[in-house]
Amino acid sequence: MSAQSHPEPTEGPSRRTMLRGAGAVGAVGIAAAVGVGAAGGAAAAATRPAADDRAAAGAEHSAVAAGAPLVVYLRDAASGELDVFSGTSHTVIRDPALVARLTHAVR
Amino acid sequence: MSSHREAPEISKDPVADSTDVYAFVSPDRPDTVTLIANYIPLQGPAGGPNFYSFGDDVLYEIHIDNDGNGQDNLTYAFRFQTKLRDPNTFLYNTGPILSLDSPNWNSRQFYSVTRSQHGKSVVIGENLPCPPCNIGPLSTPHYATLANEAVHGIANGIKVFAGQRAEGFYVDLGSIFDLANLRPFEELHAQYGMHVFSKPADGVNATAQLNVHSIALQIPTSELLRPGKHGEADPASVIGVWTTASRQRVTVWDDWQGENLNAGPFRQVSRLGNPLFNEVLIPLGSKDLWNSLPPTDDKRFASYVAHPELAGLLPALYPDVFPNLEKLVKAGTARADLEAILLTGIPSDIVKGFQNYTGPEQADMLRLNTAIKPSKKPNALGVIGGDLAGFPNGRRVFDDVVTIELRAIAGVTVPLVDKTYKPDAAAGAITDGLTAKSVPGGYLDNFPYLGVPHSGFSTP
Repeated sequence: MSAQSHPEPTEGPSRRTMLRGAGAVGAVGIAAAVGVGAAGGAAAAATRPAADDRAAAGAEHSAVAAGAPLVVYLRDAASGELDVFSGTSHTVIRDPALVARLTHAVR
Repeated sequence: MSSHREAPEISKDPVADSTDVYAFVSPDRPDTVTLIANYIPLQGPAGGPNFYSFGDDVLYEIHIDNDGNGQDNLTYAFRFQTKLRDPNTFLYNTGPILSLDSPNWNSRQFYSVTRSQHGKSVVIGENLPCPPCNIGPLSTPHYATLANEAVHGIANGIKVFAGQRAEGFYVDLGSIFDLANLRPFEELHAQYGMHVFSKPADGVNATAQLNVHSIALQIPTSELLRPGKHGEADPASVIGVWTTASRQRVTVWDDWQGENLNAGPFRQVSRLGNPLFNEVLIPLGSKDLWNSLPPTDDKRFASYVAHPELAGLLPALYPDVFPNLEKLVKAGTARADLEAILLTGIPSDIVKGFQNYTGPEQADMLRLNTAIKPSKKPNALGVIGGDLAGFPNGRRVFDDVVTIELRAIAGVTVPLVDKTYKPDAAAGAITDGLTAKSVPGGYLDNFPYLGVPHSGFSTP
């Protein structure tokens, strides 16, 4: 279906900032072939698809299971929210503990 | 340019950079409409060994709105896949390419076409081969025939082509981007007191020997329209067309694989409907934002259409040449003529025998009244030249959109909405000095209408 019908949420990172963020080693963005397990245990509290991406969210687990990469992006540590991308899906996970561990790991 | 490198971010991403959109009733198959979306601007034909190709990681789409709300009712989506026969050679081809399945052709590209309508998506073409780029007499000795093999018939009488074509859009970039100089009138330019030009000169077509990549569809008209009466005066005969390119939200350089890794939903990074809309009307700081938005958001930018910056520049750059335009601009008069042409379509009773109005929703779409038959004697100036089958009634490959839009912005179309306004004499005369004859290879009489691409050998 048309990408047109799923407009970018205004609060979300733009593609351009994503590219910059992902490309910058210092940014807290991680890519893992299979990394969702570690995050998943700690993140059981709140996992929700981004409002604009619910249609694609169901594809995430199958994409990861098929070996597709999973990318986690932390735009704002204070929010405790992580954007998780895999396949063509985008899910927002709220997990302040994981965010704290990640930010601590890159200090 | 029409939309080549028109915004800061997309200018760094050529495979996703839309350059031109065309929509017209096919002159040789008038029961069909031809839609063309061009990408990858300013291709030097000799650009090997990795000759140009569509982005395997880009979602290309052509959208059609048939009920005037600025949202697509019908979308054709294109995804490409590059396949190497032999990754152990540096060569694009290892001998002459005489067919689309030539064993000598190493780097080939294939694509799928998906039609989305009423919430359902159906793949209507798969594994369709693109033609190679036009390299030269040894590599692609029968290029026109070879490229013609890449015109595919798919579902419901639709023809499709995706591949390299000669650039059909003509424009004097060198002069226009030199502070809006127009060579045929350059002695009238203020020249900032430098007195560089003392006499007129001929225009120079900066795109004359360059190629683009085209995605072209020829579709039965009945497939594009909403139900209703489909005469020239009927709203249901009008469609709005635009193209978009989208990328996945995340790209990471994977240094294990030595390639980019993509993830996440697709997001729009390029959009194009009317030529020059984003290029000339939208200010630099908003161009990439505009590219990311749907046409339904164009009301946010309507003030740039109503008060175009270029209309204010012309009287300043050409002193005493546009006195009536200068008064119009100084009075702060909103340009209802441009708003109609670009944002809503032209209602009935404005131009005799013509309408392409889609309603009050302001949206940049290329609007085509599909009931208007192709002209037997086309005029590249389209509607302002008395040819109702040309721009801004859709756009044909040879339409002189630079001259048309220059003249419109200069005020020649103001009397459509204000009979008391008298355009300056210069408004009906300005041009960058080019015509369709400035395109050296010309155009084709049949699908995909844009000319055979220039070869690298003959255009090094």
